[in-house]
Amino acid sequence: MRRNIVAFLRWAPWRVRLSMVVMGIGQLCYGQIVKGLVYLACFGGFLAYFITTGVEDLIGFFTLGTTQENLWLGIPGDNSLTMLILGLFSIVLLILWVVLYVTNVKDAAFTARQIERGKPVPKFRQTLQTAVDGKFHITALSLPVVGVAIFSILPIVFMICIAFTDLGGDVVYPKLANWSLSSWKKILSLGKIGGTFMKILGWNILWAVTSTALNFVLGLGMALLLNKRNVKGSKFWRAFPILAYAIPGFISMLGFKFMFSQSGPINYYLDQAGLMRIFFLTNDASAKWWARGIGLFVNAWISTPSIMLMTTGILSNINTDLYEAASLDGASPWQQFRKITLPFVVFSTTPVLISQFVGNFNNFGVFFFLRSGVISNYADYFLASDTDLLINWLYKLSVDNNYYSIGAAISLVIFLITAVVSLSVYVRSAAYKQEDTYQ
Amino acid sequence: MRKKKVTARKMADHVFTYSALLVMAAVFLFPCLWLILASLSKTGSLYDFKGFFPKEFSFQTFRDLFTDDVNGLYPYGTWFLNTLYVAVGSSVLGTVLVLLTAYVMSRFRFRGRDTIKKTTLVLGMFPGFMGMTAVYIIMTQFGLIDKLGSLIFFYAATAPVGYMVQKGYFDSLPNTIFEAARLDGASELEVFMKITLPLSKPMVVYTMLTQFAWPWSDVLLPKLLLKDRQMWTVAVGLFNLPETHFARFAAGSVFIAIPIVILYFSLVKNIVNGLTAGSVKG
Repeated sequence: MRRNIVAFLRWAPWRVRLSMVVMGIGQLCYGQIVKGLVYLACFGGFLAYFITTGVEDLIGFFTLGTTQENLWLGIPGDNSLTMLILGLFSIVLLILWVVLYVTNVKDAAFTARQIERGKPVPKFRQTLQTAVDGKFHITALSLPVVGVAIFSILPIVFMICIAFTDLGGDVVYPKLANWSLSSWKKILSLGKIGGTFMKILGWNILWAVTSTALNFVLGLGMALLLNKRNVKGSKFWRAFPILAYAIPGFISMLGFKFMFSQSGPINYYLDQAGLMRIFFLTNDASAKWWARGIGLFVNAWISTPSIMLMTTGILSNINTDLYEAASLDGASPWQQFRKITLPFVVFSTTPVLISQFVGNFNNFGVFFFLRSGVISNYADYFLASDTDLLINWLYKLSVDNNYYSIGAAISLVIFLITAVVSLSVYVRSAAYKQEDTYQ
Repeated sequence: MRKKKVTARKMADHVFTYSALLVMAAVFLFPCLWLILASLSKTGSLYDFKGFFPKEFSFQTFRDLFTDDVNGLYPYGTWFLNTLYVAVGSSVLGTVLVLLTAYVMSRFRFRGRDTIKKTTLVLGMFPGFMGMTAVYIIMTQFGLIDKLGSLIFFYAATAPVGYMVQKGYFDSLPNTIFEAARLDGASELEVFMKITLPLSKPMVVYTMLTQFAWPWSDVLLPKLLLKDRQMWTVAVGLFNLPETHFARFAAGSVFIAIPIVILYFSLVKNIVNGLTAGSVKG
């Protein structure tokens, strides 16, 4: 690597060297006017940015602010949160600059080699053409990659950074923040936050396992039921679950919330029957298991149809010869189900099962909608209710109450759990391994 | 004797099967039916209902939805246009991005392909929500609140992470078609536009539908990024309706659910194909 660079420096003609000093000059000297000007403009832009604010932003990323607001002297003070974002932004631009610089030098060197070989200098139009055709994959991917980088990766990096500061809670503008591990200490210690974390984590795992199992069993059951040979008009029957599948989830969930509300229809009938009204979804202590049960039911109502559709598709792929052979050998329907259907379905739905598990583990919607408007002032929970999953707690912490760093730390914990679960099974699954043999 | 036993067993099986089907149909139909009934209630409040049933029926609530916004509190018509704008915008933009990503990942082998594959895998494991809160914090800092455009960009730009279903479909197209077209002198762009896209109509439709349905029914991001009532989407608006406006909630829900339900029913085959493609090929 190092020897390559030395050799490159020794070989480089003067115009390439010029490009190394100022981006685009070499290209201009080769007569590639448009390309040279584009590089030059980028160079100028970056330089202007770094001289005016970039360097300051970069330093701000590490200090997170040094000047405290002083109302007496009228000093505005630093906002640590903004400085973190702008600092991150400047790092991204710096990386971009380096990448652009390297491509610029490489491009100049490419032109130089073309001349050494006695070939003409590529024109701008040709460059464009190779971009569209020969390097189609790079051009086509550039937009999605940039979009994902800005809207997916950058926010995640930002959250990871925040998790290692003490931002949020009492430490908001005008107070200055610092890099620290305080939120991790709070989560993992035995205080109120740590206690809440353990309780919510326990319920979250229980919820993910039961709801995934329940949905899968019900969905598979429905698919088998509709696939039975003696069912007439299965298309008609299938329309009902599809109806539930098509309705936007938030409508179903809010609808169920009204159904089980204090003055809703269910309680109306309980009243009519002379029974006590039940606190289904309120923040009464008795509501805990009612709300959890209703959550399981509503989640099943919403997600079983998609599992039903998926397993139906998979069931139709089973080789029917297997069943004929099995019944010739005297296998009962139950045995056929256990020995043929179940292994096949479980094998081909492993990826779905995992994504269902992960989805349920992070199922924000159910309890957010079912218990919206319920104030979480539970004595032994810190800003959470007894049905909240980690992801609901994260929302309440970072959006409703501005506990940024604790919320960010929790989202990292969620990520760790999800990642370990998915990776351990996913990488081993046949679908992933066979990707290239398949083609 | 033996034959009779078999038919009795068959009868029992029939009874069991059909009662199970009936239960299933009832469980799924009833809540929808209840909402439709409620939307036709004359009085709006949940307290005025006799259990599941309204006392009097009328179409007034539907009319009120668009004509009476209760002093600017519930401007449903505006919300509806906002939702349509965001959903169509992100459907078009998102579909282009997803299809390009999936196509390139399926047909090309290049340096960095493996990195992209692994990165998207890891990105999929972060709760999508974590990004949203971060985007919320960032956008508040830069005053990008209350802009429908930023919603479109978010939905469209994050869509390519889920390219796997579409890639699975492109994988199943025979490579020889592309090679033949290339030999005939077609450029890569032409191959994509004139051969790949027409061949993958079901996948294009499926992608457009999913990209449309997500913003159409998402509450979270608009709730975070839209503070002004006039900028809300229907989902946020319905979320904020109290029990005293239950009929309005029901009417608004029915109105927004109908187009998407029709869309799903007319495209159910494409959806099933998409779902199974995603499940089999991961």
